[in-house]
Amino acid sequence: MTEPTTTSGPRPPAASRKDRRRHQANRIVDGTTGWKLMLLKIIVLSILCATAVYAALVLFINDRWLIGSLVVVGAAALTWIYLQRGALPAKYLAPGLVFLLIFQIFVVLYSGYVAFTNYGTGHNSTKDHAVQAIMLQTQDRVPDSPTYPLTVTESDGEIYFALINDNGEVLIGAEEQPLEPAEGAVVDNGTITAIEGHHVLSFADLLNRQQEITNLAVPLEEDLNAGYLRTQDGQRAYLYTSRYVYDENADTLTNSATGTVYRDTGEGAFIAEDGEKLMPGWRVNVGFDNFLRAVTEDSIRGPLIYVTLWTFAFALLSVATTFILGLFLAIVFNDRRMVSRKYYRLVMILPYAFPGFLSALVWAGMMNQEFGFINNVLFGGAAIPWLTDPWLAKLSILIVNLWLGFPYMFLVCTGALQSIPDELTEAAQMDGAKPFQAFRMIKLPLLLTAIAPLLISSFAFNFNNFNLIYMLTGGGPRDVSAGVNVGSTDILISMVYKVAFVGARADYGLASAFSILIFIIVGTISVMAFRKTKALEELN
Amino acid sequence: MAETLTHHRRPFRRWFRETGWRHLVGAAVVLFSVFPLIYVLSASLNPAGTLITANRLFATVSLDSYIDLFNRPQQPYAAWFLNTLVIGLSASAGSVLLGALAAYAFSRMRFTGRRVGLITLVLVQMFPQLLAMVAIFLLMLGIGEIFPAIGLNSQAGLVMVYLGGALGVNTYLMYGFFNTVPQSIDEAARIDGAGHARIFFTIILPLVSPILAVVALLSLVGTLSEFVIASVLLRDPQKQTLAVGLYQFISQETSQNWSVFAAGAVLAAIIPVALFLLLQRYIVSGLVAGSVK
Amino acid sequence: MRATFSAPIRLGALLGAGAFALTACGGSGSAEPSGSPAPEQNGESSSAAPEAAGELTVWVDADRADVLADAAEDFEADTGIAVNLVQQDFGEIRDQFVSQVPTGEGPDIAVGAHDWLGVLVTNGVVAPIELGDAANDFEQVTVDAWSYDGQTYGVPYSIENIALLRNTELAPEAPETFDEMIEMGEASGATYPFLVGLDPQAADPYHLYPFQMSFGAPVFGTNEDASYNPEDLQIGNEGGQEFAQWLAEQGEAGVLNTNIDGDLALENFNSGDSPFYLTGPWNVPAAQESGIDVAVDPIPAPGDSPAQPFVGVQGFFLSAQSENVVAATNFLINYIGSPEVQTALYEVGGRAPALTESFDAALAEDEIVAGFGAVGTDAVPMPSIPEMGAVWDYWGATQTAIINGEGDPVELWDRMAEDIAGALD
Repeated sequence: MTEPTTTSGPRPPAASRKDRRRHQANRIVDGTTGWKLMLLKIIVLSILCATAVYAALVLFINDRWLIGSLVVVGAAALTWIYLQRGALPAKYLAPGLVFLLIFQIFVVLYSGYVAFTNYGTGHNSTKDHAVQAIMLQTQDRVPDSPTYPLTVTESDGEIYFALINDNGEVLIGAEEQPLEPAEGAVVDNGTITAIEGHHVLSFADLLNRQQEITNLAVPLEEDLNAGYLRTQDGQRAYLYTSRYVYDENADTLTNSATGTVYRDTGEGAFIAEDGEKLMPGWRVNVGFDNFLRAVTEDSIRGPLIYVTLWTFAFALLSVATTFILGLFLAIVFNDRRMVSRKYYRLVMILPYAFPGFLSALVWAGMMNQEFGFINNVLFGGAAIPWLTDPWLAKLSILIVNLWLGFPYMFLVCTGALQSIPDELTEAAQMDGAKPFQAFRMIKLPLLLTAIAPLLISSFAFNFNNFNLIYMLTGGGPRDVSAGVNVGSTDILISMVYKVAFVGARADYGLASAFSILIFIIVGTISVMAFRKTKALEELN
Repeated sequence: MAETLTHHRRPFRRWFRETGWRHLVGAAVVLFSVFPLIYVLSASLNPAGTLITANRLFATVSLDSYIDLFNRPQQPYAAWFLNTLVIGLSASAGSVLLGALAAYAFSRMRFTGRRVGLITLVLVQMFPQLLAMVAIFLLMLGIGEIFPAIGLNSQAGLVMVYLGGALGVNTYLMYGFFNTVPQSIDEAARIDGAGHARIFFTIILPLVSPILAVVALLSLVGTLSEFVIASVLLRDPQKQTLAVGLYQFISQETSQNWSVFAAGAVLAAIIPVALFLLLQRYIVSGLVAGSVK
Repeated sequence: MRATFSAPIRLGALLGAGAFALTACGGSGSAEPSGSPAPEQNGESSSAAPEAAGELTVWVDADRADVLADAAEDFEADTGIAVNLVQQDFGEIRDQFVSQVPTGEGPDIAVGAHDWLGVLVTNGVVAPIELGDAANDFEQVTVDAWSYDGQTYGVPYSIENIALLRNTELAPEAPETFDEMIEMGEASGATYPFLVGLDPQAADPYHLYPFQMSFGAPVFGTNEDASYNPEDLQIGNEGGQEFAQWLAEQGEAGVLNTNIDGDLALENFNSGDSPFYLTGPWNVPAAQESGIDVAVDPIPAPGDSPAQPFVGVQGFFLSAQSENVVAATNFLINYIGSPEVQTALYEVGGRAPALTESFDAALAEDEIVAGFGAVGTDAVPMPSIPEMGAVWDYWGATQTAIINGEGDPVELWDRMAEDIAGALD
C-alpha cells in the first residue's frame, strides 16, 4: 500500500491561520490530566471483559462452542488493542468495526449460508419439526364419530383418559392400553368424579401437564385400526386415525391406508417411490443447486438481458440526475449574498423528510392517466400514460427517483462545498477565468474526489432500489403476451423478488443465491469505479 | 445589516445577475419539492378522505385526524414519536462518532489494508438486504438469550443494529473532508504536546463540523424511515417507532386510514426538519469557510 | 472570529462527550453492548409466576387487541393463566409467524386471514383445531374457509366480502342485472353509472370475481367437500372466455376504467357522482360520513349464474409448536368462540361475525351488515393454496390488458390460463 502521505485537498496558504490553530491547541493542552481517562479506560475495559466472560460462559454451558470462542477472542483482541501503546489505527477503527462485524457481516454470512440450503416455504425448520407437523396435520377424525366428554386422571405418574360409554359404563385407558371398564368409579350427575387408585385431574392440573395430555393417544379397542382418542382441551376427546405411521428406526413414514412408504432421500422431505412429496419438509444443504437454478431458471433467462440493461440505465441515470440537480442547487444556494437561502434549503429537504413509500403513492396518483394532476392541470387534460406506457413508465420512475433523491445529493454537496475555500476560485477568476470555467477546473475536481464514493454507493443503492419500483409501478406495465411476470420497469432485484417469493413458494435459498450474484456484479463494478477515482485522487 | 443595505442599492440588473436568478431557481425547486406533499397535507386535514384526491385539495379542513392521532390507546403516537426521537438521535450520534473515529484513522494514519478497508466498508453496504430481516431476527434472538436487555423487543438492541451501518459510505464522506484539514494543524498540536485523542476531539472534530452535521442528518433520516428491522425487533406498541407504527394505519387493505396516517407523517417530518434547522448553521457555514473570511 | 469558533466546538464537544472516555488519551474502550444486565439475570426462565399455571401468547392486531384484552382478563380470572397479547401489524403476522414459530419465539395463538392457510400448513407451523360440535355453531362458509386438506385450522370470527353499495338518492331501486344497473346509472344523470376501484397495473381480480363467476368461470374446480382442487384449473373455460369478452366490452364502453383506482372510486361515490359502487364494508363509514344514504344490494350478474364474490374469513389459529395446547384450545373455543367476544369483535371491526348466534343478531340490528352478510353467505371462500400469489399476478395484469383493449380478449385470456397452469406446476 504505497500512497502519498499528503492526501488530497488544498492546503490553505494563510500562515496566520496556522498560528491561530497552534494557539488554540496550546490552550487545550494546558491544564488537562491523563490519569482520569486512564482510569475510565480501565473501567470500561473491565466491564467489557466481564460481560464477555459472562456471555462466553452462558454459551459454553449451552454447548455453543464456536460462538463462545468468538466472543472470547473478540474481547481479548479489544483488550489487547486498547492496553498496548501502538496499534493506533485499530484503536480508532475498533468501535465501529465491532458493530459492523456483528450486525452487517452476519447478515452477509447468513445469506451465504442460506444460499446453499433449500430454506423456503415448506422447508422452514428442522426434520423433527417437520415430522411433528406432518403427524399433527394428518390426524384424521373418524367420520361421524361422536364427541367423548373426557375425564383425565393420573395414577403412578401416568395419564389416563376416562369416559362414560353409551351404556353408562366408565371406561379408562392410557398409552398403549386400550379402553377397558374401570373399577371403583364414582359418577356424579354424568361426570366422573373419582376412580379407585386414580387421581382425577382438575383443570389447573390439566394445564400443568398439558403437553403430556395433548400428546397422549389412547387406543379405542384392541384393534388399533379402530383409532385413537386424543384431546386438545382436556375436556373432550375425539376419535382419530393417523394417515401416516412414523418409523423412527427406519426413518420412514408409511401411509396406513395405501401402504405407500415415504423415505428421507436427502432432499429435505419424505418422498415416495413415485416422487410424491410430503409437506412440510425441512431445511437441508443443497450445495450449488440454488446458484444453478439462478442461472438456468426459465422465467429469468428470457427477460434477463433486457432487465439487466434497464437496471444499469436506471441506476446510472438516477445517480446522474440526482447528483446534477443536487450539485446545481448546492452551488446556487451557496452564495453568501443570498440572504433567504436558508428557507429554500429547508424546503428542499422536505421530500427527504417524508416516508418514501407515501411519496411514491402520491406520485402514482399524480401520474394517473385520466385524473392525475400532471395530465389534468400541467398538460391541460392530455391523456399521457405516465405509468402504463413501457417507456414513459421508465421516465416516470426516474422523475420520482429524482424527487426522492436530490435532497440527499444537495445536502452532501452543500456539506462538501464547505471544505473548498472560495479563494481558490476567486484566484482563478482573477487570472481571467470565467466563473463557470473556474468552477469546472478547480472546484469540481475537488468536489468529485470527495463525493465519488458516494456516487458509487448511490449507484449500488439504486441498483437494488426495490422499494421504489415496487411501490410506483410494481414492475409494470407488463406485456401479458410475453408469458413471464416480469414488467418493463422491473430491475434485477424486483425480478428476483418475483421469482423467489411471488410464485408457489417463497424460496429464501434461491433469493440468497441471487443476492450473492447481484452483489458480485455490483461489487465488481464498484471496485472498478473506485480504481478510477483513485486515479482521479492522484491527479490532485 | 450592511449587506442588506448594499443589496437594495444594487441596480436591478446586477442584483438579478448575482442573486435574483437564484430566487427563480429557488421558486421552481420549491414547487417541485413541495407539490406532492401538498396532497399529504390535504389528506391529513380531511378525516374521511383518501390520499389522492382527484379534484379539490383542501375541500375540507379539519384537525380531527390530528386529534385522533393522539387518542388511540392501541396506537400510542406520542410514545412512537418520543421513541423515534430517542432511537434516531442515539443512532445518529453514535454513527457520527464511530464514523468520525474511523475516518480519522483512514485520513491521518497509514496502515496495511487501509485503502482496501475503506473500499470494503462501502462494499459491505451494497449487499442486497433481501434476507436481512431473517438474519437480524435470529441474531437478536441469540443475543437476547444471553442479555435480554439488548435482545428482541429492546430499543437499545435496535440502536445497536443501526450502528452496524455506522461505518460505510458516510465514513468515506467524512474521510474526504478530514483530508481537507491540513496535516500541519495536527503536527503543530503534537509539537505542543497534545495526544492524538485530544487532537482528534478538540481540534479536528470542530473543524469538520459541517460534514458531521450532514452525516448526523443523513443517519437520522435513514433511521426515521427504517421499517423492516424495527418492525421485526420491536413488538410492544409502546416501544415501536413512527415508521413501524404509522404503517399500521394503512397496512390493512380493508381498513386503511389515510387521513390519520398523513397527519402522523406530517408531524413526523418535524423531527428531520427541526434537526436540519438546528444543524443548518454548521452545514452551511463551516469553520473552514468561515475562518477564511 | 471567536463567535464562529465557539459553535462548532460546542458541537464537537457534544458529540465527543459521550465517548470521550472511550477513545480518550491513548485511546481505550470499545463499543461492546453497554448497559447489559447483571449476570444473575438469566434468560427468560426467570419470569417466575408463582401461582399462574403458565402464559399464553397471542399475536393480535391493534383493532382486535382491545376486545381480546377483556376476554384475556376473564380467561385469567377463570383459569389462572395469563394471556399476553402481543400487538402486531396484521399484514406482517403471516410471515413473522412462519419465521418465528420454528425458533420457539412464536406465539401460541395468532389472528389471521383464512387465505394464509396454504402457506402456514405447508410450512408446518399451524396445528389443526378440532371444533367438534362447536363447528355447527359457526356459519358454514367460515368453517369451510378455515379448512385445509381435510382439517380445520382456526376459530373464525368475521366474514368479509364485497357487495353493491347503492346511493338511494340516485337509485331508489336495487337493480336485477348488470345491464339494468348500468341503465339505471346512466338514467340517474351521475357522472359514472357504476364504480369499482381498479389498479392501473393489475386491475382487480378480487373485485371483478363476482362477474367472472356469473359467467361460470371459477378459478378452480371444487372437491366433494367444497374445498378447491388446485389440479382442476377452471379459469380458462368457456365461461372465462365469455368473461374476457365482456371485460373488453365494458372497458371500451368506459364502464370499467383502470384509471379509477380505489381512492378515486371511493371519492367519486362519496361526492355523489355515481349511484353504484362495488366495494366492501370498510368503505361504508366514509360514505355515510359524507352524507350518502347507502343501501347494500346483491351484486347484479352480467352472466347467467349468480355473481358470487370471494369471501375472506378472519380467525384465530394455533401454533404447531405451542406448549400450551390445552389452555390455548380452551381460550379459542370457549372464549373467542363465545357470542360475547364474537359480537364485541364485530362491533369494533364492522364485519359480520362468524358465529351464527352473533351473525343473526348483527344482521337483525344493522341493515348494512345484513346486506353484506346476505351476499357473504352465498359467497365462495378465497382459495388459500400457496400458489395463489402467482395466480393473482397473471390474472390482474391480463384483466388490465383486456380492459384497455390491448389485444384480442380471448387470446389474452387463454394465454393467461396457460401461464397460470405453468406457474402452478
